[in-house]
Amino acid sequence: MKYLYVGATPEADPEALTAVRARVGSEFGAPVREVQLPGVEFAYDAGRNQYGSIPVLEMLSRRCPADALKLVAVTERDLFIPVLTFVFGHAQLGGRVAVISLARLRQEFYGLAPDREVFLERASKEALHETGHTFGLVHCPAERCAMSLATGIRHIDLKIAAFCPSCAARLKRGSRES
Amino acid sequence: MKTHWQILVVDDEEVMCESLAAWLREDGYAVDTAASGREAVEKARQKDYAIYFVDLKMPGGMDGIETMMQIRRVHPEASIIIITAYATVDTAITAMKEGAQEYIVKPCNPEEISLLVNRIIKVKNLQRENTILRKKLSRQYHFQDVISKNARMREILDLATEVASLRSTVLIQGESGTGKELVARAIHNSGDRASKPFVAVSCAALAETLLESELFGHEKGAFTGAAQQKAGKFEMADGGTIFLDEIGDISPKLQVDLLRVLQDRSFYRVGGSEEVRVDVRVVAATHVNLQQAVAESKFRDDLFYRLNVIEIRIPPLRERREDIPLLARHFIERLSHELGKDIGEISEGGIKILMDYNWPGNVRELENAVERAMVTCRGHELTEDDFSFLAQNQTASKAWVVPAGMTLQEMEKLLIASTVERVGGNIKEAAALLGIDRSTLYEKIKRYEIAR
Repeated sequence: MKYLYVGATPEADPEALTAVRARVGSEFGAPVREVQLPGVEFAYDAGRNQYGSIPVLEMLSRRCPADALKLVAVTERDLFIPVLTFVFGHAQLGGRVAVISLARLRQEFYGLAPDREVFLERASKEALHETGHTFGLVHCPAERCAMSLATGIRHIDLKIAAFCPSCAARLKRGSRES
Repeated sequence: MKTHWQILVVDDEEVMCESLAAWLREDGYAVDTAASGREAVEKARQKDYAIYFVDLKMPGGMDGIETMMQIRRVHPEASIIIITAYATVDTAITAMKEGAQEYIVKPCNPEEISLLVNRIIKVKNLQRENTILRKKLSRQYHFQDVISKNARMREILDLATEVASLRSTVLIQGESGTGKELVARAIHNSGDRASKPFVAVSCAALAETLLESELFGHEKGAFTGAAQQKAGKFEMADGGTIFLDEIGDISPKLQVDLLRVLQDRSFYRVGGSEEVRVDVRVVAATHVNLQQAVAESKFRDDLFYRLNVIEIRIPPLRERREDIPLLARHFIERLSHELGKDIGEISEGGIKILMDYNWPGNVRELENAVERAMVTCRGHELTEDDFSFLAQNQTASKAWVVPAGMTLQEMEKLLIASTVERVGGNIKEAAALLGIDRSTLYEKIKRYEIAR
C-alpha cells in the first residue's frame, strides 16, 4: 500500500496542515499520512533572506518514506529558485517530492487584514498544484483549474481547489499507467 | 500544445540553468540546457529553438553577447533573451543592439518571465500559422496539382513552368471551365513573384466605367460617389501579378488604356493627372477566339500582340477524355473530406457515363457533377445511378428538336433565359447548371439583355 505523505516542518501552521491533508486525500483518492520533518534552515540564503527550494527538495528526496507515493512538505519559509524572486512552491515534475510555502499565502503579507478561510483555501490549492506536478501534470490553460500557473496571489485566488476535467482525466490515466 | 516549442537555457551555473529549465518544463515546454556558449551554438546548429535564454556572463571566452551573435548566424530570426545578475545600461544597450529580443535581470519576477515567454510564443504561433496557410494556399495552385496525363496538357504545363519567372505577358485561351485561372495562379505561385499579390479581375462582370475605376483606381471627386481616393487593381498587384479574366470583353476605350499599361507600365487614376508607375506581370485569359475578334475588328490588333507574348491554349475536356477518370477520382477524394462523406471510389459504370458525356462546361461541370452525385449517394462508391441526371441531360438535349432557322446565338439566349428563370434568378446556380462561370454568364445576360 502506498501513501500520500504530507510533511510537516516544525513551524508549519497546524490548521493549514489539516486543510492540505484533507484536500490532497480527497482529490488524489489515496490514503494520507503525515510525517514530521526537520526545519529548512539549512537552505537559508542570507543574501536574499529567503530559503532555496532546490536544497529543500533534495532533503525531501532523502527523507521520503519507502511507502510514499508522493511527499508534499509544508513550510512557513519564503522559498525561491535562483532565477526568480520567489516561488509559492516547487515540485519534481513527475518525481516524488514537492514543497509549498505558506509565507505569501496570508493576507497579512500583502498588508491586508487576516482571513483564515482565504489562507487555508490558498494552502489547499497550492498543495494540489505542486502534488499535481509530481504526477507529471504541467500548467493548465484553464484559469480555474488548480494546475493553472500562478505568478501572483490573485492568480491563486482565481483558481478553485480542484482539477479541470482534462487534468483530472490525465491524472487518472497517469495513475493507471504507473 | 506548448511542447511543440522548444526552449534552450544557457548558463554556466548549473543550479541557475536547471532551476529555470525546471520552471519552464512545469509550464509545459520542452527545455534543453547548455553550460557554455559553445555548447549552446552546437545545440542551435542541431535544432532551432523557439526561445533562447542566454546568461550574459559566461567564462571560456564566449559570453552571452558572443553566444547570441553566433546563434543568430545560424538562425537569424531566433528570439533570444539575455539574462544577467549584473545589469548595467551599457550591457543592456549592447544586448538589444546585437538583436536580443529582451534583457532581463535575475532574479526576476515570475510574472514578468511568464508574460515574456507567452508573448514570444504567441508571435511564434501566429508566424507558424501564417506559414502553414501560405503553404496551403500556394500548394492549392501549383502545377503539380493540375491533374492531367494528356500530352498537350503536359506541354502546356512545361511551358508555363518555364515562363513562370519571366515578366512577359501571358495569354491563356480556353473554353469556360477549363481552369484558366488555376493555370494563371500556378504561374504566379511558381515564379519569383509568388510572395507578392495575385489580383484577379473579371472584366466581363463590370460595366465599362466601373471596370476602368476598378483597374486603375480613382481620385477623390472623380465621379459621383468617389468620396475618397481609391487604389485600383493594378496598384494592388504592384510587384505581383494581375489576372485579367475575359479580356476579350473589354471596351475599345479600355483596350487603349490597357495597351498603354502594357507598353509603359504606367497609367492615370480616373480623374487623376499624376502618372502611376507599377511593376506588374499581366496574365490575361479569354474564352473567345481573340485572333478572330481581331480579324472582325472587335479587338485591337496591337493589344492582341502585346498580350499574346506567351500563348497558352487549354484544350477542352472532351479533347482530353483520358483525364476524366483521374479528375473524377481527385474530386471524390477532395469532396469526401469537404462534404464529410465516406465515399472512396467510382464504379466502372459510373466512369463510363462520365466518359460518354460531352462536358460543355468542362472541368468545372465535371466537378459540379461529382459533387451533386456525392450529395445524393448513399453507399461508399459512386455508381451509374448516381450520375443518372447526366444521362437525362443528354437524352433531353437529343430529344429536343431545334426550330428551323434558329441561329446559334438565339439558341444560346433561349437556353440561358430558361435556365435563369428555372432557378429563380440565382446566377450561381444557373452558371453551375449551364457549366460556365458566373462572369461568363453575367456577360451573356448583359449581351442578350435577358431579364433576371
